[in-house]
Amino acid sequence: MAGMGATARSNVVRAPMGDSADVALAAAGDRQAFERLYRTHANRVFTLCARMSGSRSRGEELTQDVFVRTWEKLPQFRGESAFSTWLHRLAVNVVLNARKIEGKHASRTEQSDVEDERRDEMSRAPLHIERMDLAQAISGLPEGARKVFVLHDIEGYKHEEIAEMMGITSGGSKAQLHRARLLLREALQR
Amino acid sequence: MTNSTMTCAAFDEVLPDYLEGTLDGSLRSAVEGHLRECVRCTGLVRDLRGIEAEAAKLPDLAPSRDLWQGIETRIAAPVIPLAARPERSRRLAPTWMGIAAAALIVATAGITYTLTARSFRGSNPAVAMGPAIVTQPNAGDSSTPSEVGIGTEAPQQSSQPSPTAPRTTNVNRAATEPQSGGVAQLVRQEIPSEAVYSKEIAALQHIVNDRRTQLDSSTVAIIERNLRIIDVAIEQSKAALAKDPASRLLSDQLTRALDKKVELLRRAAMLPVNT
Repeated sequence: MAGMGATARSNVVRAPMGDSADVALAAAGDRQAFERLYRTHANRVFTLCARMSGSRSRGEELTQDVFVRTWEKLPQFRGESAFSTWLHRLAVNVVLNARKIEGKHASRTEQSDVEDERRDEMSRAPLHIERMDLAQAISGLPEGARKVFVLHDIEGYKHEEIAEMMGITSGGSKAQLHRARLLLREALQR
Repeated sequence: MTNSTMTCAAFDEVLPDYLEGTLDGSLRSAVEGHLRECVRCTGLVRDLRGIEAEAAKLPDLAPSRDLWQGIETRIAAPVIPLAARPERSRRLAPTWMGIAAAALIVATAGITYTLTARSFRGSNPAVAMGPAIVTQPNAGDSSTPSEVGIGTEAPQQSSQPSPTAPRTTNVNRAATEPQSGGVAQLVRQEIPSEAVYSKEIAALQHIVNDRRTQLDSSTVAIIERNLRIIDVAIEQSKAALAKDPASRLLSDQLTRALDKKVELLRRAAMLPVNT
């Protein structure tokens, strides 16, 4: 990301103070402590789930799945990373695995050839990006491109990490990211 | 379009690497030279960088409703801790569950037949009624479908509560004193844990029923089919035990079947949405 001067939020350590005590309590079965963890991290997890799935309602379902999974896996959390980092990674895996389970086909635009869609843009005015429009455009991206874009440009994962999580190559991640950016540009220019 | 040696098409080829900052020196210089002259490509780079910058600044979202209640319902299921086992065995394929349940029926029916026939042939009327016995399920037999109902393991009589089953009380060993007929026989009274199982099963069933609409219809159908199979096994075990209440094996089979039902319901209760 050096070339882009990336400002994506870090997926590492956004751990609020006091997490560790609640993590220990929750791992021992304390549901109140787990609820506090949920309250602390719910929006962050929901944001990830909604953006990766491209749907707020699906994001809510996935968020619940993430926290149920977290409850199950919490006893295995060894504190080798911050809880927030661990939770974030678990959330990514839940979203990616959910998609595999659903076995849905790639979206209609998945196979589109971006190169063919390019037009002469010499006369175009600079892109004016509204956040609402950008968020909407992201949700309209094809599945693979959207996930890579969210993980890389929003969540700050590296291509190597994304490749490992998604079972693709690093080059594939780069290609999907570029494709996503081009598609977003296209969408925002309409 | 430009006077530089690089065409727009060539620029497009290397654009991802340029944006990543991974171009080597000479190629990067060529790209930058092209950008100084090409409005189209300059605009493209500016827009893509703008998209990335804005994406990184997107604020967190909030769910439209409080999701905690749904989470709590699912995690508050009366879950019986399972023995730790490899991750790959935690999710049972429906096919395996079906096979396991079928194996359970076969094993139960076979044992029922064998022991019932034996009791008709040579039951000793002088057998004394001793203290109750409840055989505990093996700690390791709770979730691996291939282990279900095979019936090859010797029943355990440990008084330690199994981590895989509802904790029970009144667990006693059978009287083993030699009887007047020379036969030491274990006598079983009604399984005291059945009430515990019933309570657990009812609670889990309630949760699963509530989640029915959240699960894929084919998954629900498989779960229900396997539950029916297990229920048949439970009923057969109970019927056999009614004829031969002293049988440890039958008692163990019943416990295993109840275990399986609890576990299947538990897994159904914990399934992610739309699976």
